[in-house]
Amino acid sequence: MLLELHKVTKHFMGLVAVDDFNMDVDRGELVGLIGPNGAGKTTLFNLITGILRLTSGKITFNGIDITEKRPHEVAELGIGRTFQLNPLFSDFTVLENVIASFHLRPKSSLPDVFFNTATYRRNEADIKEQSLQILNLLGLDKVKNELGKHLPHGHRLILGIARALAVKPKLLLLDEPTRGMSLDEIDLALGAIERMCEQGVTIVLVEHNMEVIDFCDRVVVMNFGKKIAEGPVDQVRKDEEVIKAYLGSEHAA
Amino acid sequence: MKLKSPFTGNRGKMIKPGACAGLLIILIACPLFIKSPYLFHIFNLTLIYIIVAVSFRTIMTSGQLPLSHAGFMGVGAYASATAAKWLGWTPWITIPFGALVAMGVGVIMGYPFARLRAVYYAMISLFFGMLIISSVKAFDTWTGGAAGLTGIPTLFGYSKIPYYYFFLLLTSVCLLALYRLEFSRTGVTWKAIAQSHEVAASVGINEARYRILASAIGCLFAGLAGATYAHYNGVIGTTSFGLMATILLLIYVIVGGAGSFFGPIIGVVLLMTIPELLRGLREYVPYISAAILLIVVYIMPKGVAGLANSLLSWFTELRKNRRTSNAS
Repeated sequence: MLLELHKVTKHFMGLVAVDDFNMDVDRGELVGLIGPNGAGKTTLFNLITGILRLTSGKITFNGIDITEKRPHEVAELGIGRTFQLNPLFSDFTVLENVIASFHLRPKSSLPDVFFNTATYRRNEADIKEQSLQILNLLGLDKVKNELGKHLPHGHRLILGIARALAVKPKLLLLDEPTRGMSLDEIDLALGAIERMCEQGVTIVLVEHNMEVIDFCDRVVVMNFGKKIAEGPVDQVRKDEEVIKAYLGSEHAA
Repeated sequence: MKLKSPFTGNRGKMIKPGACAGLLIILIACPLFIKSPYLFHIFNLTLIYIIVAVSFRTIMTSGQLPLSHAGFMGVGAYASATAAKWLGWTPWITIPFGALVAMGVGVIMGYPFARLRAVYYAMISLFFGMLIISSVKAFDTWTGGAAGLTGIPTLFGYSKIPYYYFFLLLTSVCLLALYRLEFSRTGVTWKAIAQSHEVAASVGINEARYRILASAIGCLFAGLAGATYAHYNGVIGTTSFGLMATILLLIYVIVGGAGSFFGPIIGVVLLMTIPELLRGLREYVPYISAAILLIVVYIMPKGVAGLANSLLSWFTELRKNRRTSNAS
């Protein structure tokens, strides 16, 4: 197992956002996480990446306990993520966004930086090369010199994915990667997700768009912080609990 | 027209080696034409404050507002001055010592408060700055307290010209170092943290560590400037390092343009040197400064450097358009 969530619980004062949640993700899987608004999906991502602290439970990644790890330590272990809102450094250009995200490797020491040594220059040239590759992969190479804040919404989200890829993640958490996108942009995003799967990146994505969910190997359904169903897409679609959660009890059965 | 945004990444490398060398030659030749020691006193102060203002902005690029920056200049000044006066060390040793002490105190302040952001950090640093001044007053046996510390050994006696060359060299080296840093990976990381600490953490940037680093480097240079100031002036007092001094620094940075490396330099020259040179109008200096400030804030929200950048990009755009319309 790459990622294991064991009895994860998060309380916000009196509100139970995530309740006794168990989930396992295997290497190379593409898992969809769905559920009505407020089900706790983004909270779950924030718990995995260390932005929020668990009330109780345990999360392990690649055999390492990451329950108490801070966000940058989690990233260092190989978990990349995107954000729904403010997914980028808005005052940087597209290319700079990716370059700045190449923080972990190759690494330069402060004296290298200060004296502009050959190692540093080689590292930076290397990073630029790799950043351009990522932008090519995601179809963003045409806008590489635009400022982040001047990008259309869909491109921002794709840039969020590009940034996350700079971490060279083993596991990628995508928070609504196609939210509010135009049809062209959805194609672009789907193409990007497909290519990452081919490269063997494990992906967990939160999504409302069923077109994207159809791609997933497995779907986990959340409601009120609890897991209500799990399985292949077709099976989950017929699940009574799921229909009830989305459409109300009168539509079930 | 695209405006240059504050804290951009690797773009906008504006140093033209030729222009810099030319300016440096003019500055080196200055003593041939100008004989007034008073003018050189002003030039020396300007060079010192350029280091302080630019290092202040360096900390600002990491998204923090240290309202204690003049205080750290004071830490450097007092550490160096007391060591030279009471321990009899030569200023050539106490100056680096003062700079290192300022850096150490900067880390001590940065470490516990690195998780505080924006206004909370500003508040804590405000109190820290006050604490520095109070400590100076508390240990008045050694620091001279509120009356000031006199009789500090000087570097080159009381002639202004040797100092002028010394500060010219020191400021050039400091600016080069800080410029390097700003446009390196470290500088880009600082700017990334300032834009979004959550996104920065998600790519593995240790926010606290980089904030402490920015604080340490900023304080090191402020301390260095403060220490040389002490051994130049021979006399130091707490008023040069209090809150008002920091606020003035902030004004220099904002008026010059916080988004540009050269902003603080422009700010210091515009608001400190020029009013200082209008000696006959001394009573009106606060009004002149206030007027410059109001004008800048109203018509140049990105400071003088920001306006210069905008004009430059507007002009290149215009030329490009003209060329394309001629071609078609």
